Amino acid sequence: MKKDFVAVVVIVFLIVVLCCGTKIQSVDDYYLTHIDDITEDSETVFLSIECSTILNNWNDLDPALRYEKYVPSSGFILEQTEYVLRKGDTVYDILSRAVRYNKIQMEYQGANLSAYGSVYIRGINYLYEFSCGPLSGWMYTVNGVFPNYGCSKYELKDGDVIAWVYTCDLGRDVGCEWLENNDIKAQSIFGLQGVGI
Amino acid sequence: MRDKAFASYHPIILFVYFTVTVFITMFTMHPVLLGISFVGSIVFCGTLIGVKELFKSLAYSVPILIIIALTNPLFSHNGETILFFLNDNPVTAEAICYGVAIAVMIISMYYWFKCYHAVMTSDKFVFLFGRFLPKLALLLSMTLGFVPKLKKRYREINEAQKAMGIYTSKSYVDRIRSKVRVMSILLTWSLENSVDTADSMRARGYGLKGRSSYAIYRWHRQDTVMACIAFALSAGVIWLMFSGYGDYNFYPTLAKIDVSALAFTLYAGLFILMFLSTVIEIKENLLWRYLRSKI
Repeated sequence: MKKDFVAVVVIVFLIVVLCCGTKIQSVDDYYLTHIDDITEDSETVFLSIECSTILNNWNDLDPALRYEKYVPSSGFILEQTEYVLRKGDTVYDILSRAVRYNKIQMEYQGANLSAYGSVYIRGINYLYEFSCGPLSGWMYTVNGVFPNYGCSKYELKDGDVIAWVYTCDLGRDVGCEWLENNDIKAQSIFGLQGVGI
Repeated sequence: MRDKAFASYHPIILFVYFTVTVFITMFTMHPVLLGISFVGSIVFCGTLIGVKELFKSLAYSVPILIIIALTNPLFSHNGETILFFLNDNPVTAEAICYGVAIAVMIISMYYWFKCYHAVMTSDKFVFLFGRFLPKLALLLSMTLGFVPKLKKRYREINEAQKAMGIYTSKSYVDRIRSKVRVMSILLTWSLENSVDTADSMRARGYGLKGRSSYAIYRWHRQDTVMACIAFALSAGVIWLMFSGYGDYNFYPTLAKIDVSALAFTLYAGLFILMFLSTVIEIKENLLWRYLRSKI
C-alpha cells in the first residue's frame, strides 16, 4: 500500500507541525514574568486602566459582573504605574506586559482578524465590550488625546501617559469629542479600538 | 408495522409542539433546560426510530459534541478558572462549559428535527400550509426531506457501484477516492431530479386555483386534550423564561443554578412538555403489545 504509506506520513507531518506551533504553559509558568527594572537612563511610560464610568451606569452592567472584584469601587483596575519602554513598543505591548505582570485578565482580537490591521482589546478584567450597555467598550488615550488608530499601531515615546478607559456611551462619557454627532465615523473608528458596532 | 402513536395527532398540534420545543432549546443557555431538552430529544428519537438506530446515530453525534465543546475555548478566553495557557492565551474551564452547552444545544436540535421528520411527514406539512402558502410549503417540505433523501440515494448508488467493482482495492486512499466518485454521482442525480420534480409538479397543476387536495386529518377529542395540556405547559414555560428564570451566565464564573420554587416549576414544566411525546409513544406501544398478547 504505497499510497496509504504516503498519506500516513503526510498526516503525521501535519500533526507534528501543528504541535510545534502550540505552546502549552501552566498558569504559574505563564505569570512567572520579570518586569524590567527602572534605572536612571531607561525610558518610561505611565499606564492606568480605569472603569469608573461603569459606576455611573450600574444598572446597565451585566448582573454577573456586579462585584467589587470586577468593578473596583475606586474605578481603577490599575492605578497609574510607570513601566519601562523598550524600543519600538506600542500601546498594546505595554498593556499586555502590564496585565501579565499584574495577573489581570485580558482578551484581545489579533491584528490579522481586524480590517484595520491592529489588535483590538475585547475585554480587560472580565469587563468586555457590550458588558455595560450596547455602546460600551474599551478605549485608550495617550497624553489625554484619543488617537485615531489602533493600539498596536501607536508607537510610544519617553514619558507618554497611557490611560485605558471603559466607556458606556461610545466615548462621549470619557471625553472623546471628535466622535460627537458623527455616528458613521464613530462606527468606523470604534472598530479600531473601543466599541465594535 | 404499527403506526406511531404521537404521529396520529392532528398536524397542527405536531407542528406547534415541535416549533415550541425547538425554539425553547434555541433560546436558552441554561444547563438544566438544555439537559432536559437533550435527554428528551434523544429518548423520544429512540422510541421513534428504535434503540439500535439511535445508538448508530449517537456514534456520530457524540464525537461532534466533543469537537464543538473543545473548539470554543480556542476562541473564547473569558472565565476565571484558567486551566493552562495555549500560545499565551488562557484556556478556561468556563469556556469549555460554554462549549459543552452549545454542543448540547446543537445536538438536541438535531435530534428534535430527526423526530420531527419521523412524525411530520411531508404530506402533513403540505396539508397545513399548502392552501395559503403553496410555494413556501413545497420548498420547506422539500428542504426538510432533502437529507434523508440524499442518504437513501447515497446508499443506492453505493450499492450499484459496489456491484460494479468499486472498493475492491485495499488501499484507503483508493477507497476515499471511490467515495468522492459516489458523492459526485449523488450530486448530479439530485440536481437533475430537482429539475424533474419541478417540471412534474407544474404539469400536475400544483398550487393552481381550484385544485383540491385529499386530506384525512380530522380533529378528534384527543387533539383537544393534547392542545390544552401542551398550550398550558408551553405558555407557563415561556412566561417563566421571559421572567428571567431561564437565564444563565457562564462568564466570568459559572453562575449558581437557581433552585427557587419558580425555577423548579420551570424545570418541571419543561420536563413534562419535552417528555409528553415520549410518554404517549411508550404508553401506546405497551397498550398495543398488551392487547396483542390477549389475542
